[in-house]
Amino acid sequence: MDRISELTEQIVERFKTSGYDVNSKEIYKRLKLLIDEFKVPEGEAVRTVTNYLMKELDVPREQLVAVESPLTKIAEIKTPGEWISLKARVVQLWDSSSPNVSQVGLIGDETGIIKFVVWSKANKPPVEEGKCYLFANVVTDSFGGRMQVNVNRNSRIEELDEDIQLPPRELEVVGALIAIQQNSGLIRRCRICNRVLTKDVCPIHGKTEAYDDLRIKGVVDDGENYYEVILNEENVRELTGIGIEEAKAIAMENLDRNSVLSELKSRLLGRYYRLKGNRGERYLIVNDIEFLNMDLEKEAGSLLGRFE
Amino acid sequence: MNEQSRSFRRAVARRVFAFELNEATHRLESGDKTIQVLLPTGEACSRIFFVGVLLDREETRPDSDFWRVRISDPTGVLRGFVGRFQPDALESLLKIEPPEIVAVVSKIRLFEGERGTLITLRPENIVPVEREVRDYWVVETAKRTLDRIENMRRGGEELVELAWQVYNPDLDSYEERVKEAVKTILDQHSAIEAARKEIEEEEEEQEGEEEKEFEAEEPGEELEIPDLEDLEFEEEEWDLSDILGE
Repeated sequence: MDRISELTEQIVERFKTSGYDVNSKEIYKRLKLLIDEFKVPEGEAVRTVTNYLMKELDVPREQLVAVESPLTKIAEIKTPGEWISLKARVVQLWDSSSPNVSQVGLIGDETGIIKFVVWSKANKPPVEEGKCYLFANVVTDSFGGRMQVNVNRNSRIEELDEDIQLPPRELEVVGALIAIQQNSGLIRRCRICNRVLTKDVCPIHGKTEAYDDLRIKGVVDDGENYYEVILNEENVRELTGIGIEEAKAIAMENLDRNSVLSELKSRLLGRYYRLKGNRGERYLIVNDIEFLNMDLEKEAGSLLGRFE
Repeated sequence: MNEQSRSFRRAVARRVFAFELNEATHRLESGDKTIQVLLPTGEACSRIFFVGVLLDREETRPDSDFWRVRISDPTGVLRGFVGRFQPDALESLLKIEPPEIVAVVSKIRLFEGERGTLITLRPENIVPVEREVRDYWVVETAKRTLDRIENMRRGGEELVELAWQVYNPDLDSYEERVKEAVKTILDQHSAIEAARKEIEEEEEEQEGEEEKEFEAEEPGEELEIPDLEDLEFEEEEWDLSDILGE
């Protein structure tokens, strides 16, 4: 059965359980037009056709039995604009910065952690940190390049009596450092908020008192996955012998703060590491890191064994 | 929205030997602007992490700041271009005197010309690295390549089926080349280790003689370097003949 027939069946089924008979040929035709011809996303097409039918048959929205979106794991959320359901634990709640948002924060299951937003218009009772819920009929979205889920009017939040595990926060990675990003090396931070200054100006406090710090924002890649990592001064010093004082000396000698970054790049890029760190929403905050020390003869030997 | 979110997700850097990448000719339609090629072992690839020997760098025209590079691993040679749109790679490239072992992070380009297609690199970073990094890279890349070969034999996945259709690769000969690469590295490694041990033993014997000890203050380094260069040179020759044969 093709995708459009599947969706058609879903819609027909939904109206049937509410006691209405609808013409499946008609629905199929409308869906096909929207999806194949006009390239409307599936979720929107289904909603459009459903709305049309409700108007046509004069069905009140409350009477239509909600069709549950498929239960999904957080790691599987990859494309925005899909209707899904999640069983997840509320990891953290943040202060909402907008009157349109009643709650915002992070939820997680055993596969990952994702940001969630509850619109004020959704009119839902608030969720609590640490508790587990079923988030039914929520919509995936991407904001600032990261995936999130939105809770809207048609969603349903139901407290669960389940113990949902979160992914281990500590992660061990073996891979190569393949990029070192902007704002690495010898940087300056704001005394008040510790944010990194660009051109000696804090994004919040403007021209302020500043202090020096050494860190690396980079990408470690193992050929299957990549991890955005942050190394602090201690990590950098352990790997290179360059701490904050040495970094300042290098900058002085060359009359250029960027020379520190060049030096670190030439010593760290392209090498393999074994590292342990705590996973944040985006970055892996590194605790321990060392150059990978491998017994070549043993590794190569066991590899050659695979040919037999 | 869709495109934007995709551009934020980095492409993973694949580990692939030169011989395999050079055989890739099929561009995958990905909907956005990123260029992806299908590897003959059935995986999409738009970025690589590669460790090999920078054989030469040559400015395409005088003062153009556009450099042609050739980088070799034990299985073959990759060609690439570095220009002002790769500022990090350009800066470090100009400081390197080939031949030298380098780690390269690079995007892939596919030239489709009259006489067929050609894979070239657009390096984001080129950094001189130690021999141990190269050794590990060969082992890791061998492992990844074997995994892909096994995956091909199992069949079923969409890209795997496409690779069978497009390339119909001779997986046995692929395996043979991977095996050769690992052996080459292992032999070289053992030779160097043996030489190092010999030197250490000699040192111990000479320990009584004060003069000698003074002379060889950093014996490990001093004696290791000529060894290393010898071996690398051999490798370069081998690779050149490989190209001529093609």
